[in-house]
Amino acid sequence: MTVVQQANVLGGRALRDSLRTPEAIAPTLFIPMFFLIVNFGQAGRIFPSDSTGFLNGQSYAAFQLPSSLLLAASFGTAALFLIEDIEGGYFDKLRAAPVARTSLVFGRLLAEAVKGAAITVLLVLLSLPFGISIASGPLGLVLLVALTSAWAVVFSGFMQLIALKTRSAAATNSGGLIFFPLLFLTPNFVPRDLLTRPMEIAATFNPVTYVMEALRSLILHDFDWVALGRGFGVVAVLGVVMVILNVRLIRRYD
Amino acid sequence: MKLAVEARGLVKQYRGRAGTVDAVRGVDLNVEAGEVFGFLGPNGAGKSTTIKMLTTLMSITAGMARVAGLDVMAEPQAVRRRIGVALQEAGLDPRQTGRELLVLQARLFGVAKQEAQARAAELLELVGLVEAGDRRIKGYSGGMKRRLDLASALVHEPDVLFLDEPTTGLDPGSRVTVWDEVRRINALGTTVFLTTQYLEEADQLCDRIAIIDGGLIVREGTPKQLKADLTERLGLGTEPTLDDVFLDATGRTRERAAGEVQEVTV
Repeated sequence: MTVVQQANVLGGRALRDSLRTPEAIAPTLFIPMFFLIVNFGQAGRIFPSDSTGFLNGQSYAAFQLPSSLLLAASFGTAALFLIEDIEGGYFDKLRAAPVARTSLVFGRLLAEAVKGAAITVLLVLLSLPFGISIASGPLGLVLLVALTSAWAVVFSGFMQLIALKTRSAAATNSGGLIFFPLLFLTPNFVPRDLLTRPMEIAATFNPVTYVMEALRSLILHDFDWVALGRGFGVVAVLGVVMVILNVRLIRRYD
Repeated sequence: MKLAVEARGLVKQYRGRAGTVDAVRGVDLNVEAGEVFGFLGPNGAGKSTTIKMLTTLMSITAGMARVAGLDVMAEPQAVRRRIGVALQEAGLDPRQTGRELLVLQARLFGVAKQEAQARAAELLELVGLVEAGDRRIKGYSGGMKRRLDLASALVHEPDVLFLDEPTTGLDPGSRVTVWDEVRRINALGTTVFLTTQYLEEADQLCDRIAIIDGGLIVREGTPKQLKADLTERLGLGTEPTLDDVFLDATGRTRERAAGEVQEVTV
C-alpha cells in the first residue's frame, strides 16, 4: 500500500469521525457567521458600498467574508481528535501498524482539507443573502475554496504539532487561541494602506494578512495574480514546514 | 531453537524534570517460537516499557532486540508487519463501528478492500461480535472492546502477538473468553507474549514466565520450575503458588503488596 493510499484510508476514517461529531462542526459554522453578521452590522453603515472605494461596489460583508472563512478554517478540531486517539491508545495502535509516518500526518490533514472545502462552500452560500458575490466568478470560487482549505491544513498541522508535543487537550486548545491575535493583526476591518503605521507594520509581518488579501481579491476584484501568488505562496511554505515538523515529531514520538 | 523474541541488555532511560529515570535496566529475553510467554511484574516494574520497545512504539536507549527474526531498531516497519499488538488500553476509535475498525486495520496492513471486508467478518465471528459489528464502539462493554482489540491485532495473522494486560478490568466470564482466544491463537502457531498482573492467568496460560522488578529480570522459567525452585530453596512442605514465587522474587510480602502505592514519574 502506497503512502497516498494509506493517507486516503486514514483520511476517510478521520472524515467519518468528524461527520459523526456534528457538535464539533456546528461552531465552525456558527461562530464565523456570527462575526460576519456582527461586524457587518456594526460597520456596514460606516462603509456604504456606493461610496467606499475599497468595496468595489459590494457590501461591507464581502470585505469581512475572508476573516470569517479564515476563522472557520482555524478551529483545528483535528488536533483534538488526535488527542483523543493518543489518550485512548488508538494512536499507538496505528503506530504499531506498518503505516508510513507521513501517512499518519497526511491522513488527518487530508480530512481537514475536505472538511475545510465543504465549510467554505457552506459559508459562501450562507453569506449570499448579505449581497456578497464572488467577483472572480466560478474559477475564483474554486480558488477561494482551495486557498481556505489549504489554510485549514496549515493551521491543523500547527495544532497537531502542539497535540503531539504536549499530548494534552488543554494545551492544544490554548495553543489554538494563538490564531486570534494573528487574525486581528491583519487588515481585517480596512485595507492595509488605511491602517495606522504600527498596525500596518504588524500586518505586513503577519502571514495571515497575505492569505486574507488573496481571498479578498477573489471576492472583490477579478484575478489579482500578485495577491494570489502571495496567498498561495504563504500556505505552500507554511504547509511544507508543518508537514516536515509533524513527520519529524511522529518519528521521534516515544 | 527458533526465537520469536530475543533481547540483550535492553535499556530504557527517560529524561524527566526530576532527572534520568531507568525504567528498564538491561533485560535479556529469549522467547521461543510457538510458546505463550508471560511477562510479570509489579506496577512500574518495566513491563509495559519493555513491550513498547519490542513493538517499535518506543525507542531503545541501549541493547538489542529482535522480533520474528528482525532487528527492532534497524527494521521497524518489517517488524510491524509480523506482529500484532493489543496494549493495556484497548486502542479503539469509539466513533467507528467494530467492522469499520477491523476493515481499516486490515487495509493498513495492505489487505485489499474486499478481502479486508471478508477478514473483518471472519474476525467478528471469531470473537463473537457479529451482532455488535455494525454498532459504534463507544456502546461496547469492556469485554467486547477487549475482544475487538484482540481481533484487530489479528487481522494480518501475525507471527508474534503482544498482549499487554489483556484481561485487566474484565469480569471473570470475559477473562475466560480471552484466555480461550489466546489458547486458540497459540494453537495455530502464533507466539504470544503477554504481560499480566494476574498470576492465575500466567499459571493457566503460559508455557514460561519471566518476572521483572525494578527494570531487571529477577526470575525466569516454567511455572512448575519456578515453584519447584522456591520449594527447594525455602524447604517448603507444600507446593507454593505462583503468587508466592512472585512475592519472593520481588521481595514483597503479602501485607506490603496489598497496601502498596507507587508513584511513577516519567
